[in-house]
Amino acid sequence: MALTRLRHPTLQVAAAGLAALLLAAATPADSPVNVPEPEGYWTGPPRGYTPPTLKGATVLDLAGLEALLPEKPVLLDVVLEERRPAGLPADRPWSPTHRSIPDAVWMPGAGGAPLPPEREKAFLSRVEALTGGDRSKPVVTFCRPECWGSWNAGKRLLQAGYRRVYWFPSGVEGWQDAHETAVAKPDPAWAASAGADR
Amino acid sequence: MRTIAAFAIGLALSAGPVLAAGAGDSDAEREARWGEIKQSVFKDRAVEKTDTLVSIDAPARALDAALVPITLTMPQKDRVKGVYLFIDDNPSPYAAHFEFGPAADPSEVKLRVRVNNYTNVHAVVETKDGKLHEAVKFVKASGGCSAPMGMSDEEAMRGMGEMRLKFGGDVKPGQPVEATLMVRHPNFSGMQMNQITRDYTPARYVQKLSVAYGDTPVFTLDGDISLATNPVINFALLPEGRGPIKVTASDNQGGRWEHSFDAPAVSN
Repeated sequence: MALTRLRHPTLQVAAAGLAALLLAAATPADSPVNVPEPEGYWTGPPRGYTPPTLKGATVLDLAGLEALLPEKPVLLDVVLEERRPAGLPADRPWSPTHRSIPDAVWMPGAGGAPLPPEREKAFLSRVEALTGGDRSKPVVTFCRPECWGSWNAGKRLLQAGYRRVYWFPSGVEGWQDAHETAVAKPDPAWAASAGADR
Repeated sequence: MRTIAAFAIGLALSAGPVLAAGAGDSDAEREARWGEIKQSVFKDRAVEKTDTLVSIDAPARALDAALVPITLTMPQKDRVKGVYLFIDDNPSPYAAHFEFGPAADPSEVKLRVRVNNYTNVHAVVETKDGKLHEAVKFVKASGGCSAPMGMSDEEAMRGMGEMRLKFGGDVKPGQPVEATLMVRHPNFSGMQMNQITRDYTPARYVQKLSVAYGDTPVFTLDGDISLATNPVINFALLPEGRGPIKVTASDNQGGRWEHSFDAPAVSN
């Protein structure tokens, strides 16, 4: 549990207790500290406590997501792709796999900030295609608990004029607690836009 | 309340027949993944399912995914040559391989691992006749491979290679002795990001750990990045050996450490 890996010992205890609570109830990752929303994108460390809100968007818990699913929202997963670690001997097999909410579109790293302009463009044009150009279509962003990527991705959509943006902060963890996941591959169009980066 | 109620319904659904089709897909995907892992490690050797040669004990839901305790029980110890542990959905699924020597009692070993996501964990026993036997357990834990250490790399590496060896209970002649080996080593997975520099700390993990009673091997362990920080191994040894217990550890970056411990004193 990421929540238990904090620096401050008393927070560690509090977080462990909280993690147990979160797991029991599968609620969104409420922050044990009151994190204010940044003005724009979050450009600090990608991991850490996130705010309880995303202004302009609806924050979903699992029940909220389940209630929204019949509307067939676009599900955007921005979990980072695992990269082969430096120092891992060449003869060690490296075969990362990623499981996500079934039917989610996985755009690894799309919640990064700042994004290079061409990647930002690729992200928005991909979402435009997925929503059929309808800015009122529901779009859900998620990654994992304590991950700013999905917060940023939601922010990016709001700024692009999407009117029904949903943020599901407990992400894959919150989902898999009660439901099956499916193996996801990076969205090909998004992956192609990375070009030489990859 | 609403959340809790919905969660309960979700659980009921996922356990019942309603989502059976979805669950079947997922099971098939997990089975396919395991098939690939087996193929890469054991090639075309057959791996039979077993209920008796090995069983895996792990918390169904781990509190800390970077420190998931695993117990492998092998009641038919005299048939056991070695045991492999795989964490299927970790990016490097091969977690550990024990090869037991004449001074081992392989009926139970424990170790602590990192689990990246809800996953099947497989144990494969190799019996002395050269056959392979698998058992499986589903473990709910996630984020263990990339969880930051909560301290600087320098701090995490302090005292690297220090070891302790403890024995449990009374030592009786002819009876196996329980032992706990603790090795100080960060076992960096290479997936842990330094939150300030945003660099990943390169993988540095215990690759080989050998324990011998005098000149008689107890076990050798091949490790990987899935072993938790500061590896702790519980095992049992047979008190027949002579001389001190020698432990040698080496990591993938050329670190090598050797310690010698007094053998447990036998009480009659």
